[in-house]
Amino acid sequence: MDPESAESFDRARRQMHGIFVGEIQALEGAGRTAFDYTTDETPLQMKLDMARQCWDEARHVEISLRLGEHMGTEIGEFSEAVTLFEAACHADPVFRLAGVNRALEGLAIDVFTTMRDFAGEMNDPVLYFCEDWMLADEVTHVKMGSDWLRRLTEKDPERRERALEFQRVVDKLFSLGGFRGEDDDSPIRLARRFRELAGFDESEMDDLAEISREAKADADRMREKLIVEATA
Amino acid sequence: MTVSVSPETFTLVSYDAAEIASIIDDLVAAIGLPSELDVRLEVDESTPLGRASVASIDPLVITVESGALEDPKRPRNLSRTGSADVLGRLMFRVRDRLDPAFGEPPDDDKLTLPQSVAWDAYCVGRLVRLGFTHYDNRQRRLYHFRNRHGFSDAADDAFERLWTADGLSWSDITALSEGAVGTSAA
Repeated sequence: MDPESAESFDRARRQMHGIFVGEIQALEGAGRTAFDYTTDETPLQMKLDMARQCWDEARHVEISLRLGEHMGTEIGEFSEAVTLFEAACHADPVFRLAGVNRALEGLAIDVFTTMRDFAGEMNDPVLYFCEDWMLADEVTHVKMGSDWLRRLTEKDPERRERALEFQRVVDKLFSLGGFRGEDDDSPIRLARRFRELAGFDESEMDDLAEISREAKADADRMREKLIVEATA
Repeated sequence: MTVSVSPETFTLVSYDAAEIASIIDDLVAAIGLPSELDVRLEVDESTPLGRASVASIDPLVITVESGALEDPKRPRNLSRTGSADVLGRLMFRVRDRLDPAFGEPPDDDKLTLPQSVAWDAYCVGRLVRLGFTHYDNRQRRLYHFRNRHGFSDAADDAFERLWTADGLSWSDITALSEGAVGTSAA
């Protein structure tokens, strides 16, 4: 978000509403993953990590709600999507770790870093403090996903690869036509340093940047096609 | 006065030109624009973005990207209150510009960001008092104002004066804005 743009504050408001809705779905998703499996399928320690994540997400919902009030946004002012929740409904817990903890919580790292930096540039102490606080939690959630994905698939590389492919699909969905990337005009920037702390390696982040560029190219092509069809 | 909306038939979004024209009619009467002023709204429906600007004052020509009039909860559908919010703010600016007592503000593209946000607070405050409300407009405009002037009591005081005022001149607005700029703690 460019602070010199006249539209940046309304973009930030819309973004904050999206975060609020996403936190509700992340709470539901982590709760289901804590509940849905036997301890043969997911170790008790992983269930405890998911329960801890629920605690964090519930707090994030409340923080996001208050930030919305701070920014002049009402609940329901903007549309909401349920893609995050859908990713949390996969039958295989390993896919949930890849799709939710790594792809979507990873996106949260990018979003919170962007929002925090924006608040820093605008000297908004409320938004900066809250985003920085939530960012620390998100790094933990992604790290939990990276660690448990590795442990649960230690003896099943094929399952791990399929889960990582699912993660790439979710990453592309949430790159939303170039919404997240490393180009100057990307509204959300890839937060490489925090992702590294959360267990992403350099090649994964390079892949993600490429996925985002592809998503932007796809969106541009779709827009051109729609205009041609409408004016034909 | 004539009101026209372009295009007359929308193909990419589900907007009704007649409904948009009726919103403009209501605004013109409520805001008190000259009855002989012709108004033309040009909508670019090929983009969902939301920029809106005044292209000409007499005749009044407003250009908008279709997202500016859209209901964010019902994509591609018109928001009556959102449209009135966007168009009403611009029309209040035009009313101010047409009022000799207001003074001579720079062209919109020459305004500084703090000046623009301060003027918007003054315009939208009046619009809300006329009954054109759209979500929590006061807090939204306060948030904009704080970002450009500072997160401080001094900035909030200046905003309150702009939001509740009537009959301000351009020099009043710039004085309030300049007095508030940079008042946040570093």
